[in-house]
Formats: sequence, C-alpha cells, structure tokens
Amino acid sequence: MVARDSSGQRRRRFLQATGASLLAGLAGCTGGGGGDGEDTTTTTTESGEDTTTSTTTTEDSGGMEYTIGMINSETGSLSAFGERNQRGKDMAIAEVNEYGVKGGTLNIQVEDSESKSQPGVSAAQKLVNQAGVPFIIGAVGSGVSLSIYESVIQGTDVVQLSQNSTGLGLTEFPGLLRISPSGRSQSVALTDIIADDGYDSVAVTWVNNNYGQSLADAFLNNWDGDVAFQNPHNQEQNSYSNLVSQMADSGADAWVFIAYQQGFTTMVNDIFSGGYEPALYGADSVRGDVVLENTPEGSMEGMKIVTPSAPVNQDNYKEFASAFKEEYDKEPTSWAAFAYDAVITAALSIQAADEFTGAALGEVVRDVTRPEGQQVTSYAEAAEILADGGGPSDVDYQGVSGPIDLDDNGDPKGFLQVLEVQDHAYEGIDFISG
Amino acid sequence: MAALDFLATPLLDYLANGLVLSSIIVLGGIGLSLVYSIAGFANFAHGDTMTVGAYTAFVAFGAIGAVGSGVLGLPIGFFVALVIGVAVAALVAVITEYVIYKPLDTDRIGLLITSIGVAFVYRAIIRMEFGADFRRYDIQAMRPIEALLPYEVRITPHDIAIVGTAVLLVGGLHVLLQYTDLGRKMRAMADNPDLARVSGIRTERITLWTWIIGAGLAGAGGVFLGLYNQLSPRMGFSLLLLIFAAVILGGIGSVYGAMLGGLLIGMTNQFMPALPNLGQLFPLVPESFGIPIGIQYANAVAFIIMVLVLLVRPTGIAGEVS
Amino acid sequence: MVDFEDYRENWASMSRTEQGTTVGLVLIGVFLVVALLSGALAPAYLAFLVGLGAMYALLSLGLNAQWGFTGLINFSVAAFFGIGAYGTALMTADSSPIAGGFNPLVGLVIALVLTAILAILIGVPTLRLRADYLAIASLGLAEVVRLIALNERQWTNGSAGVRGVPTFFEGWPVLETLPSTLPSVRVAVVPGSPIVLEAPFYGAFLDLVVVAVFLAVSYWVLRRVHRSPWGRVLRTIRSDEDLAEALGKNTYSYKMQSFVFGSLIMALAGVFAAHLTRFVAPGTLDPITTFYVWVAVMLGGSGSNRGALLGGFVIVAIREGSRFVNDVGALPVDPASLRLLVIGILIIVVMRFRPQGLLPPQKELIWPGTVDETPTTIDRGVRDARVGDTDE
Repeated sequence: MVARDSSGQRRRRFLQATGASLLAGLAGCTGGGGGDGEDTTTTTTESGEDTTTSTTTTEDSGGMEYTIGMINSETGSLSAFGERNQRGKDMAIAEVNEYGVKGGTLNIQVEDSESKSQPGVSAAQKLVNQAGVPFIIGAVGSGVSLSIYESVIQGTDVVQLSQNSTGLGLTEFPGLLRISPSGRSQSVALTDIIADDGYDSVAVTWVNNNYGQSLADAFLNNWDGDVAFQNPHNQEQNSYSNLVSQMADSGADAWVFIAYQQGFTTMVNDIFSGGYEPALYGADSVRGDVVLENTPEGSMEGMKIVTPSAPVNQDNYKEFASAFKEEYDKEPTSWAAFAYDAVITAALSIQAADEFTGAALGEVVRDVTRPEGQQVTSYAEAAEILADGGGPSDVDYQGVSGPIDLDDNGDPKGFLQVLEVQDHAYEGIDFISG
Repeated sequence: MAALDFLATPLLDYLANGLVLSSIIVLGGIGLSLVYSIAGFANFAHGDTMTVGAYTAFVAFGAIGAVGSGVLGLPIGFFVALVIGVAVAALVAVITEYVIYKPLDTDRIGLLITSIGVAFVYRAIIRMEFGADFRRYDIQAMRPIEALLPYEVRITPHDIAIVGTAVLLVGGLHVLLQYTDLGRKMRAMADNPDLARVSGIRTERITLWTWIIGAGLAGAGGVFLGLYNQLSPRMGFSLLLLIFAAVILGGIGSVYGAMLGGLLIGMTNQFMPALPNLGQLFPLVPESFGIPIGIQYANAVAFIIMVLVLLVRPTGIAGEVS
Repeated sequence: MVDFEDYRENWASMSRTEQGTTVGLVLIGVFLVVALLSGALAPAYLAFLVGLGAMYALLSLGLNAQWGFTGLINFSVAAFFGIGAYGTALMTADSSPIAGGFNPLVGLVIALVLTAILAILIGVPTLRLRADYLAIASLGLAEVVRLIALNERQWTNGSAGVRGVPTFFEGWPVLETLPSTLPSVRVAVVPGSPIVLEAPFYGAFLDLVVVAVFLAVSYWVLRRVHRSPWGRVLRTIRSDEDLAEALGKNTYSYKMQSFVFGSLIMALAGVFAAHLTRFVAPGTLDPITTFYVWVAVMLGGSGSNRGALLGGFVIVAIREGSRFVNDVGALPVDPASLRLLVIGILIIVVMRFRPQGLLPPQKELIWPGTVDETPTTIDRGVRDARVGDTDE
C-alpha cells in the first residue's frame, strides 16, 4: 500500500537520522585518538585526545602540543561569566603561544558545565578519563568546582584550578586551587568602607545562589552596625520593585548590592523611577559596561564598588586592559582577568615542571606564583627565566587580577580595588591588599 | 492633609505597581486563554511569543528612532515599534499554526508538547540572533510622578502608559467580543465548536483571527515587559508560569477569567512585602501579626494560591464546567 | 547449538521500526566495542556515560509509569528526582545540616520515603484536575519545592548545596575500597593505544552496577505490573476515565498509586545521581530535567517500558554527544542555542511524524501465555466437526 510505504520510508529515514547523529556524535572521540601519545602534531581544532597521559616531553623541533582542560559555564545561569572567562582565556593562549611552552604550543579543551554540578561532572569525566588531561581550569561556581573535585579529581593527580569560585568552603580543600580569592575579603572591605563613610545602618540584598550567599554571610558577620533589611533576591525576576521599596521602607542609609548585572540594572532603574536616592555600595558582580549602558545618567552617582584587581597602574594590567579593549572593544572585567591568570599559571607550571603529568605540575603550580623569586608580570618574562634553567621558586608571577601568591590552602591573596561611579563611569579611587 | 494620612502607607504603592505588572500578565493571559478556548490546547510557546514581540519592537525602534516626543515619556517611534512588534508576533503565530499545529494529527496533550518544542525553537533563534545577554529599549528612564509622592505612590509616566494601553487593548477586545460579528462567532466557537460549524460559521477563519488577536496581545505584553523590566531571551518563558497560574485560576478558556486571574497574580506578586508586616499595615489585624514569607518566595506563593483556588473550583474561577 | 529458526521467526514478527531500531542499536554497540578496543574510548568514561544513560532511563521508566500507564501529565519529574537526591545526601553527607554520616542504604530508604510523601502532597491537589491543569499545577508545585530547597538553609544548606556525599559503597566491607585495591590492567589490542583499567574505571563500574540494579529491578517490577489487573485498570483510566469510573473503580486512588509508584522510581535515579556527583544543590531541581525526560519518553515510545529505556539512552547520547561536536569542528553558532534548537525541532518532528515514539507498546501489552495458546488452525465449530476430529 502506498501510504504504508511512505510512512515506512519516513520511519526509516528518521531512524537513519537518529543513528547517523549518534554515530556522528561518537565519531568525534575517534577523531584524534588512536595516536601513540608521543608526538601528536594535531591541529588546534582537533584536540589531542590521548587516553594515556603522555609522559614523554621530548622537545622536538616539531613542537609538542600540551593540552589541558577547562570547564566553563558556557550555558546556564552563569553563562555571562563564562563568556567573560572565555575572552580572558583566548587572550592568554595567544600570549602564551607567541612565546611557546617548552618549545611547543598550549591547547585548551573547553567543556561546558551548564552552570550545574551534574553536567560539570560529565565535563570533568570527559576531560580526565577520556581526554586524559593533567590540568583542569574549572569551574565557575563553588558548588560545581567542589562537585568536580570530590567526584572526579580527588584521589587522582590532576591539578584543578578554579577560575571563579568565591565560596568560603573551598579553603578547606588544599588540593582545590583557585585564582579568584575567597569572597570574604571583598565583603570585609565593603564593611570597612561603609563604616568609614559614616553609615551605621544598611539594607543588604544578595543574589540567591552560592556566590551571593557566601559574600552576604561574610558581610553580615563582619558588619558591626545595624542591619535594617536583609533579603536574597532571585535571578531573572521580572520585577524588583518590591525589593527596592522594601529597602527604602527599612530606613537604611546605605544600600548594599551583591547582585549580577542583569538584576542590578533593573534595580537601579527601579531606584531611579522610585525617586529614591540612597548611598549605593556593591560587590564586583554589579559592575560592567552593560550596566552603564542601560541605566540613566546619575542613577548610580557616587556608588562604591569593591572589585578584585591588580594595581591598575601596574604595567601588565595596563597592557592587558588596552589589548583587551582593542580586541573586544570593552573594558576587561575581573572574570576575564581571572581566566587570563589561570591560563598563564597553568602554562608556567608546564614550563617549570619536569614532565607533563599531574603530579609534576601539582608540585610547581603554587611556587610559580609565590613571593619567592623574581617578580615578573608577563608570561614571556617568566617563561624565559624558567627556560634558562630556573626553577619554579625563581619566579613570582604577578597576575592581572592580583599578586596571586597561592597559599597552602590553594587560595590566592586578595587584592582589591575600590571603584566609584563618577559621571556615570567607573573610576578607581583606592586599593586594598587582601 | 491629616485626614488622608492613613493613606500614606506602602499599600497604595503596592497597588499601583501591582496594576502595572497585572497589565502585562493580563495581556499575555488573555491571548493564552483565547487560543485555548478556540484552538483547544495550552500553548507553551505563548511566553516566547511575547519575547518575539519585544525583540521585534527593539529592532524596529532602533531602526525608526524616536521621531516625535510622543506621550507619557514614550516617543512616537516607540508606539510605531509597538505596532510592528504586535504585527510580527501575530504573523509568527499564524505561520506556526499553519505549518506546525494544523497538520498535526494528535490530541490536546500532543499539541501541548509540540508547543514546548516550538517555544524552544523561538527562544533558540532569538538567542542566536541577539545573544544571551540582556538589553533595554533606548528610552530615557523617568522619575516618579510628583503629584503622587505624598501618597507614597511611586510610579512613572511609563507605568501609566503600560496600564493605559493595556486597558485600551482589553477594552477593545471586550467591544470586539460583545458587539461585533467576529466576536459573536468567537464566543460561539468557544462555547460549542461543532454547533458553531454546523450553523455555518467559518471556523477556520475564526481560528485564524483568534491566533492573530491572541498572539498580538502577547506581543504587546512582551513589548511592555521589555519596557518595564528588560529584554532577554528568557523573558517570556520566566513570566509564562505566572501567566499560566493567572489563566488557570481564572479559568482557562475564559477571557474575563484571565483578566481576573492576571489582576490577582500581579497584585499578589507586588503585595509580598506586606506579608511580614500585616499587623502594622491593616487596621484590624493585631500589631505583631505577620506571615514571615520573604519576597524570594513570590512565585511560590502565586502557585500555591493557584492550587488552592483549583482545590475549591477545579475549573478555575470563571472556567466552564465541562 | 544456536537455533536460527527462532531468531528468524522473531525477526519477522518485529515491526519495521523495531527491526530498524535493533539494527541501529547493534551498529552502535559494535562501534562502541571497536572504539573501546582500539583505545580511543576510555573505559572509565564509557562506564560513566552508560551509568548516566541508565539514570535517565530510570527517570523515563518512572514517567512512563505515570504517563504511559495512567495518562498523568506529570511535569514535576525534577522535583522527585531532586528530593530523592536530597534525601540521601542529607542523610549521608558530612556537610548535611540535618543528619549526616549514615550508611547510604539508610539514605536510600529515607529518600524513597520522602519522595512518597512529596508525591502524595503534590498529588492530592492535582490529581483530580484535568490533564492540562495537572501539567501546569505539577510544574508550579515543582517550582515551589525548588524554591524551598533554595531558601530554607537550615534544612538544605540553601544555595551552597550539600557536598561530600559519599559513594554508594561507603561503609561496605569490601566494595568500599575495591577501586583502589584492584590491580591496574593495561591491555593493548591495538599496539600503542592501550586500554587502561584502573581506579577510575573500577569506581565508575561499581556506580554502573548500582544503577543497573536499580534499573533492572524497576523494569522487572514495571513489566509485571503492566500486565497485572492493577495495570489494566490504569490503562483503562488512561484511555477513558469515565469508563473506569463507571466500572466502579476509584480512579483517584488508582491515579495516586500510579503517581507515587512512578515517583519512587524517579527517586532511585536521584539517589544514584547524588552518589555519583557527590554533591546536591537546588540546581538539581531545575525544570529542564523534566523536559529532557519528557522528550526521552516521547521519543522512545509512550506507554512502553522498552521505549522509555531507549529514550533515556538517546537523550544522554544527544546531550553528551553534543560535547564531541565541538571537538570535530568549530561551530558558527553558540552551542547552547544550537542544543536548544535541536531539542525543539526534535520534539516537533517526533510529534509530527511519529507521535507514538520509536517503540510503542505492542506485544508488551499482551500476556505471553495468550499468544502461545492461540490455535494455529481455525476453529471450525461443532457443525463442521467430523467424528474423531478433536480431542474433546
């Protein structure tokens, strides 16, 4: 019968399509593999998926490709930060490969964590067990980073360096390193600034996730004065007007925002159209060009924001910022700076280590950032010292996000900058050492 | 005036802001209810239809510019962009109906599930085109209206525009439904589609008009949501659950139920801050009484109210008992 | 000796789609084996992926027990999954604000109990509603559960989540340390590209055993239930609830039983997930999980247990497979939008061309005994019977 044939054909076609897409999906894993793990001269799009951790680091003239992993929040609630991380990472790779790593090139295989722990673990599984990388930059979000560490990384030799995890709990895991300092330093700095400005009652709101909660906890613990209002807010709400009106009703002089840019923009607009004029303070997540573009002039005048950063008059930051502006036509954010430093640190560890294994990299990764050794501010400088026979303690990499100086708990030393909104633009007014 | 001092509570402000949010929800909800009563299924792509309208207006407004100074702080160009947004939302919905829903040989539930797929497709295309980050219309934000400040009511001319336009549109719909031929036929189809067809009503055309009106209203709602809050690819979907709550508790299939439900849900959302302070705000309630639910539970409260209403009236307040 | 006759008969009796699916599955299996043996696919990763697929298959089975059997449109899958995960995490993790340190088996029991309670709480207001209201109401209530998990820090640690959930075999005498005590094995089928079996693989394999056991038990129970009188009532309710009522069945009670039953299976998936990722957070309750499971069930075949299994693995293949697409070449479009678009188009295509899914229930619904007893010759009846014809 004609009708049955055509529907049968359709079924077959659909099955073929399903089968083909499954096959195509799995085809990727045989794309680069099957090599002997020694001298893979694969191109950068096909990342070297060696299932054996290559132990030979022959400095061939051909140049070896060193592949590390990165788990980024490309999608999900933290995708905006994933995007910023990516810019910093791209700039860092370009700079590293300009000089080279042990005569070869650095390649980063990026996987998406979807801002959640289970896909993050999937990503880690793929990187560690399938691709066999010895070093992972990941993840965005303390919960995801911890989940990856406890279910995949812990017990192996793989080095994990998180680019964005501010949760206080990570300090208790020395094996889990991070480039972003603990949120504590930001919150403490904020309390000091507000107190210095003469306010004794605050209204605090924070984004209802791990980042916001941990910063808020540290802030509330450290604040001596009165807390007239404290409440979390959810991301992606359609209206924050009742939050704003509650903050106004509390009678507090200073309003503190630990919020993401999307929500904060709405809040600023609501404050403006509510006719309120409080003293505004914020954590680094509220800052961004997109906020300036979408809020009216004068709506944030005088707002003080604490952000992790390098001293802005430091040459490497200036170079970084101008190169960034040239490339992306916007100011770099702290997330881009973190990701940049994470990649540089990884590259320096590869350069400094005896072999390209997790164990060897883990031994040197802290030292290349620690205060012993000559202070260097660029990858090329540091790599030269290491290539000339220097050890990891001969180098102290000062990053664009701060001095780094990874301590025994795997935490960096916080270095903060205080920004003030003047004429609807961010101006640096002070520095605080963590 | 001292006599009017008691009015200077935050309650009026909550009421006013509640009206604004309700207007947006009502615009979305009516479309949803209309489509349900005539096309026969709960359209999960409705929220993303709002998003389509909003982004179209964004592009149109960017292309047209402000033109004149307009009214209530909104330039003429914005209203033109609004009309374009409405038209495109309607067009997209009609195309979807003809290409996807009509040829489908499945029941209400199958159509519901298909509409989820359609919602994903709308959202993905908007994401690809505009990126995942948020943006706002290029319209200057405004200060609150001076005359209302003594009553602690803080709304801007934009808010008045939103409520005003919504009232106009809803009023127009009411006139359409009650006093025009098309409206009569729509009501007949909603009541009893078979009888309507038998009595000579061209049901296909009525369905077409329903999609146009329903999606058009949704588009308008989306544009105003973008003005009230901001534009992002997920904007419609995150409001969709609230719209569903409004429509269901009002009685799906009933336009007036949707209006009532939208009002209720919008007000609930804005009155959340009053919950912990009930005693202080209302005269007859003891001073210290309050329900300690924070505003982060706003959506949860809306759903609980919806469920409670359904427990008492399983078809919603104004729903048909079929 | 292999009896080819039987196989040929089986093959002939399968529908076109079933034949196609079998061929497709066999091809994929061969492909995986080849990839494994050639060392291109790491065994630990494959074991992990299979475990993940089994987890989604469990969720699909649970949804099948509610939607496929009884026609309940349950959009609160994520809530049951999440409460299963939280239940065991709160009992076993050391960072738990309520309890902590208990044996994972205790966690399993508590998770199931909590999920049953939640199912009743969600079911009571929603199961009497009509189908589309049930969908929205269950979705809304799942959001309420998620918001509670997010905000009630004293119960759930709030947004920080519960970390430090032990593996499922923590506290077991031998199995706890098995991954580290088993020797490392390197087999080089293709020279230079060895297959490595060491601790990560053994750990993943143990996890796989856990979920496989859950899956096997659930599947077996569902098969028996589907054909039982209880299952028949459920199927009647699905196709015509008024008829079931007319027959004197308390449909509400049956719907509640089916609802709770399905939710328990989903909770098993949640328990597995908690011990797999060692971390549970409000993100586990994200409604996107609900939509993925629905796609899995629809794609696989509504009402069919085999279909649910297939759908679960297909969904994982799509989700994790899309990671490899990035490796093959750079995409002009960002992956998130593409994934969303693909899922959306997939739903539309399936509903348009194959709304019953790949493997709809056919012979599953027929008790095997009936088939065997069917006479091969036509019953000619008394009139045409000849003396000595029959044994009666």
